[in-house]
Amino acid sequence: MSDRSLRLALAVVTLAGVAVAAYLAYVHYRPGSLICTGGGGCETVQESEYAELLGIPVALLGLLAYLVVLGLVVRDTPLARTLAAAVGIAGLAFAAYLVILQAFVIEAWCVWCLVNDVAIVPLLAVLAVVRAARGQVIGT
Amino acid sequence: MVVNRQLIGAAVAALVVVAGLVAASLLLQRDDETAAPTTTDEAPPALFDGIPQERAVLGSPAANVTLSVFEDFQCPICRQFVAEGLPEIVEAYVRPGKVKLRLVGLAFIGPDSEKALFHALAAGGQGKLWQYADLLYANQGGENDGWVTDELLERISSDLGLDHAKLAAVADGRAVLQQANAMATEAEQREVPGTPWFYVQVGDAEPYEVRPGSFAIEEFREILDDALDG
Repeated sequence: MSDRSLRLALAVVTLAGVAVAAYLAYVHYRPGSLICTGGGGCETVQESEYAELLGIPVALLGLLAYLVVLGLVVRDTPLARTLAAAVGIAGLAFAAYLVILQAFVIEAWCVWCLVNDVAIVPLLAVLAVVRAARGQVIGT
Repeated sequence: MVVNRQLIGAAVAALVVVAGLVAASLLLQRDDETAAPTTTDEAPPALFDGIPQERAVLGSPAANVTLSVFEDFQCPICRQFVAEGLPEIVEAYVRPGKVKLRLVGLAFIGPDSEKALFHALAAGGQGKLWQYADLLYANQGGENDGWVTDELLERISSDLGLDHAKLAAVADGRAVLQQANAMATEAEQREVPGTPWFYVQVGDAEPYEVRPGSFAIEEFREILDDALDG
């Protein structure tokens, strides 16, 4: 896969992350847009105490991280690639923590959070790390 | 694959930051748990005092506008509505006799929903469905974890001065079952997708669906003023 394709894929995945995180941040601030449906979970995850960290919604932190990655992808210097990989790795670790929370602490699943935590973030991390590693090889 | 120290360093730094965030999240959570009193007993709500109640309807029978609220007692968003939105609606619109509220109880989340609903409807027979509902929400537990215990229901009855033996018998009876079924049928006919869900009816006109953007009174003011003008 060419570096250009990788960069494009990373940008697309990051934009998907921006969309999901923006939606989750939106529903966090607009409780009227939330409803309980028969599928279970009942937005319990969004409503749980873990939905905020230091008073900041986790979804908003995620949105911020995605925007940072997007900026780094656009900039695309060797340092920017390394930083994007670092944010990707951090995101992956934090996403794993959030999945563990949903499974064992909150005991409820938030579908959109899962889309983010098990699909978008891992993909972003892999793409960012591969690009950074390639850049390092070429650059050294 | 050759990866230089810069990338490894950035990865390690990233993991340290995440470890810090996770530790902060867990520690803050622990602080919250120790700080928050774990009371399940709530004072009987005075919010509804002096307002007429007829079964599931709260408010003056003369009020021309009815706000129907489809809810499930296990729904945390419904609890949020009852805590954040309902009090101001009651004070601004129901107490002055402008609007009636109608609780349409559903039990789609599970067995605890059904048990809670049947007892709340039975409390309606003693004129205190809304107070009963309020205390159910105040004691809401996890979905279907058995939080609607006989002890809880008896305590709520006692707090509200209701005859619990009579209430429990009515909750198991045919009339309450029919009332619950009628509510479920109404939700099905209106294709209510979840709870809380709101409908407004002006006089005898066909009810129409409304979607407040939040539970702030401003959102409901717009909806209800519009209905009152309509």
